[in-house]
Amino acid sequence: MERIRLGIIGLGYIGKIHLRHCQKLANAKLVAASDLSKKALKIANDAGVKKTYPNYEQLLGASDIDAIIIALPTHLHTQCAKQVAEAKKHIFLEKPIARNTTEAEEIISAAKKNNVKLMTGYPLRFSPAFRKPKERIDDGTLGEIEIAHATYIGSGPFMHRAEAHTPLPVPEWWFNKKLTGGGTLIDLGSHLINLLRWYFGEITNVRSHLGYRFNLDFEDSATCIAKFEHGTLAVINVGWFSQSYHLKIDLHGSVRSLSANHSPSNPISAVIQTLTKGYSKFYEGHFIELQHFVNCLIKDRPPSPSGEDGLRDLEVIEQAYGNQIRIDQP
Amino acid sequence: MSLVSFVKVTYADRNRLEQAIMDSLHLIHYRFLSRSENIAIKPNMCYYWDYSTGQTTDPKFVAALIDVLREQISPDVNISIVESDASAMQCKYAFKMLGYERLANNYNVNLINLSEDPYETAHVTAGKYSFKIMVPKTIQEADLKINVPKVKYTMEPIKITCALKNIFGCNPYPQKFRYHSKLGEAIVAINKAMNFNLHIIDGIIVSGIQPRRLGLVMASTDPVAIDNAAAEIAGLNPKTIKYLQLAKKEGLGNTAFWNEGEPLEHFKTQYPKKNLQTKLMSKAYSIAVQTGLSKKLGLE
Repeated sequence: MERIRLGIIGLGYIGKIHLRHCQKLANAKLVAASDLSKKALKIANDAGVKKTYPNYEQLLGASDIDAIIIALPTHLHTQCAKQVAEAKKHIFLEKPIARNTTEAEEIISAAKKNNVKLMTGYPLRFSPAFRKPKERIDDGTLGEIEIAHATYIGSGPFMHRAEAHTPLPVPEWWFNKKLTGGGTLIDLGSHLINLLRWYFGEITNVRSHLGYRFNLDFEDSATCIAKFEHGTLAVINVGWFSQSYHLKIDLHGSVRSLSANHSPSNPISAVIQTLTKGYSKFYEGHFIELQHFVNCLIKDRPPSPSGEDGLRDLEVIEQAYGNQIRIDQP
Repeated sequence: MSLVSFVKVTYADRNRLEQAIMDSLHLIHYRFLSRSENIAIKPNMCYYWDYSTGQTTDPKFVAALIDVLREQISPDVNISIVESDASAMQCKYAFKMLGYERLANNYNVNLINLSEDPYETAHVTAGKYSFKIMVPKTIQEADLKINVPKVKYTMEPIKITCALKNIFGCNPYPQKFRYHSKLGEAIVAINKAMNFNLHIIDGIIVSGIQPRRLGLVMASTDPVAIDNAAAEIAGLNPKTIKYLQLAKKEGLGNTAFWNEGEPLEHFKTQYPKKNLQTKLMSKAYSIAVQTGLSKKLGLE
């Protein structure tokens, strides 16, 4: 069986999760990593990655790499993904694919031009908790879904840990809307929009209400109401304002209703899961999506969610930003 | 023995808060001096947690205090709200996110990031350690320094964060974790160097094992006494909190206090105290963090 040789660019929060998962992938090996931080590169070395580079362009020159995981801040996606494509490496690119649709189109076009595969990282599609509703929708058990509620509330970049543990500094780029492309709607909203599009098809119309509890120039909460092509109406709530983590969907069909949620395991269970499987249940979707990417490369199939999926999500988000409703004024 | 007042506020609107602050000051017989010109107020800003978590001082509480100061001293008194950068918090964002930028605009008060303030160095000893403490100009020049802390647990050996610990946040040096091996002594040293005059606790929402609306306002001129009282409310034995004992030994105040106003027991019964399960979980997590196991397993 062929073995895919992976590289990873960016070892921040999500990059380190991918780094850990790469050790457990079947038919793949992580051979190189790149990050500006020496500390992060040492973590990669300690995890058995032989080649580490402070500059990702050095990594692109390596001939023994088939595909690259890009886990950089959003504003760096376009330039990096284009360079990776030009280096003829397949791309796994974290969500959101880019800051806006123009950049997303450039990335997709570069991947096509260089004949490399492009997958956008959306772990919810691979999480067993959210795959089950997809099966129930497709097999008709729920009837026709009239109304859906999707909620994703957490602390976002303002990472809180358990009581009295030292909070983590927030990387400066998160405070700059020009670098992120927006607030919680693009960050967490992209997850839910992608998941609901997978369930119900394309969104034909969307409106949003944005909240600014923290007085920043980007939203820290958003409520969207979206109409899907086959008639489902979805209410999507996302927020960075809470100390707790809450990710849930409720589907109300003409036959039955169904709920699914995703929550962190308690620390003891997480330790046991990590020791036995290599990842905790909370990150199972992240692991399976990487395995899917590797499998698609081996079998020469297009990975999904694709770059186009990431682009469609951004189109919806741009529409939502441009189609705001104000309910705090008469 | 020092006076510590306890006032209950049932619904924390601006007028009631102002009245509660006034009542808490009357109970300890506190009188403002009309000659005060420059006032520094140190709320507790911690990371980017908003006031509803019980981790940070509610800007509405500080607004009520500003009203009290302008009524009692002079409408023209110069007021500065002070805070400094920390390992994981930048004042420029905390002021905005926690509502202090809006407060400063509405109330015409200064917002001072002490990490950007000019400073003088003071040499202070506490216990067996000596420290070079940077004392910011705004603190030096204030003729009335008011501390507005919260009551909350902390995992560190110091166990509780209240008046004395909040003044640790006036240390302009952002990398505060560097003091953590001698945190108790550093807290005492900084309090000796900065010497705040008045401590008014915003205990409207407190943070125990979870936030709880306690509706408490406490006041004292003695930070050691008010911290001892706060520790008792949180179900801790103040005698086991070493830095409080050190603070007393170093002359910062009395561990004994006289309860004025509502009985302390009233608040103690309602405080969301630790139970055995939360104590064990915290201990296990703390060990995992200290040994690096949590990082290895990706739990952080």
